[in-house]
Amino acid sequence: MEGGERAELRRLMARLADGDRAAFGPAFALLWPRLRAFAARYVAVADAEDAAQAALLRVFSRASEYDPERDALAWALGIAAWECRTLRRKRERRREDDVPPPDRPDPGQGPEEAVIARDLSAAAEAVLGTLRPNDVETITAAAAGSGKLRGATFRKRLSRALGRLRIAWRARHGSR
Amino acid sequence: MAADELDLRLQARARRAYELGRLLAALRLAPFVLAAAVAAIACGRPFPVTCALALPLLLLSVGLAYAGGPAGRAVRPGLLAGAGALAAPLLMATVGHACFGPACMSLALPACVAGGGLAGVVIARTTVRRDADLPFVLGALAVAALTGALGCTLAGAAGVLGMLAGVVVAGAPVLVAARR
Repeated sequence: MEGGERAELRRLMARLADGDRAAFGPAFALLWPRLRAFAARYVAVADAEDAAQAALLRVFSRASEYDPERDALAWALGIAAWECRTLRRKRERRREDDVPPPDRPDPGQGPEEAVIARDLSAAAEAVLGTLRPNDVETITAAAAGSGKLRGATFRKRLSRALGRLRIAWRARHGSR
Repeated sequence: MAADELDLRLQARARRAYELGRLLAALRLAPFVLAAAVAAIACGRPFPVTCALALPLLLLSVGLAYAGGPAGRAVRPGLLAGAGALAAPLLMATVGHACFGPACMSLALPACVAGGGLAGVVIARTTVRRDADLPFVLGALAVAALTGALGCTLAGAAGVLGMLAGVVVAGAPVLVAARR
């Protein structure tokens, strides 16, 4: 999502939080494709649509709680990550077979590098999915380079979130 | 089923989720209104009168907060401002002031006017700080007036009118001075 769209989504969510129903349609049009793409990367293909829909409904049901000072996309993706995690845990509890995540090979890589990159990416996403929504939101915002979030408070939040990410990684994969 | 139709269905579900979320958020104000009504009854206000004021206050607060906009944003400041006007006469009752005849007017009525004045200043200052417009002021006034009236009925209709006068007399100068 480009900076202009990101800022537009922020404005639309702020209007929705204030009760302006006219902002609903445009906000839906901006959010739905992003949440669907996000869910497709986090959970198995078969569950992606369900996770994305659950995340979308949760985002809109909590729209009146949205704080306009925060980045709307990072906030929504934090909620989506939580929904994906919940869905994955449900599946794990039911001991269903995992469907592998979709391939996203880089055309410039060889087959071996592509497999390593895919495995690393899947492992990182799986670990990220175990974090709390606030941590996911912080890390996502930092990765996206949101300019307005670069204060000392944000750096402290990011440091804590990365610390928890490291702990979660070690718990799952050892000290590699 | 076409993808467009699926998207339309999903949009309708998302809209329902949004409206339900707003309603639930607005209903979080209900405990404050109920607490104000319980406090008024506990301090000896008649049950029917308190219900006659608390019910419109509940509907107004939840309705405005659900609808949103400037009037929706005014509900919390209105409740806060009205709490002062509610507390002042009720405190008079709890310190043993007997509210009968002219003796009532000697203490309860000034308490209502002072509480109304406090509410007026709170509303005016909030309006100035947020650079809010007329719907905000009217919404806050309506909520504060009903909240304060829960306590000011102690001094009868004169108490409620005195509180409203206090709101206007204390709030208007703050607003006018800030708008200049």
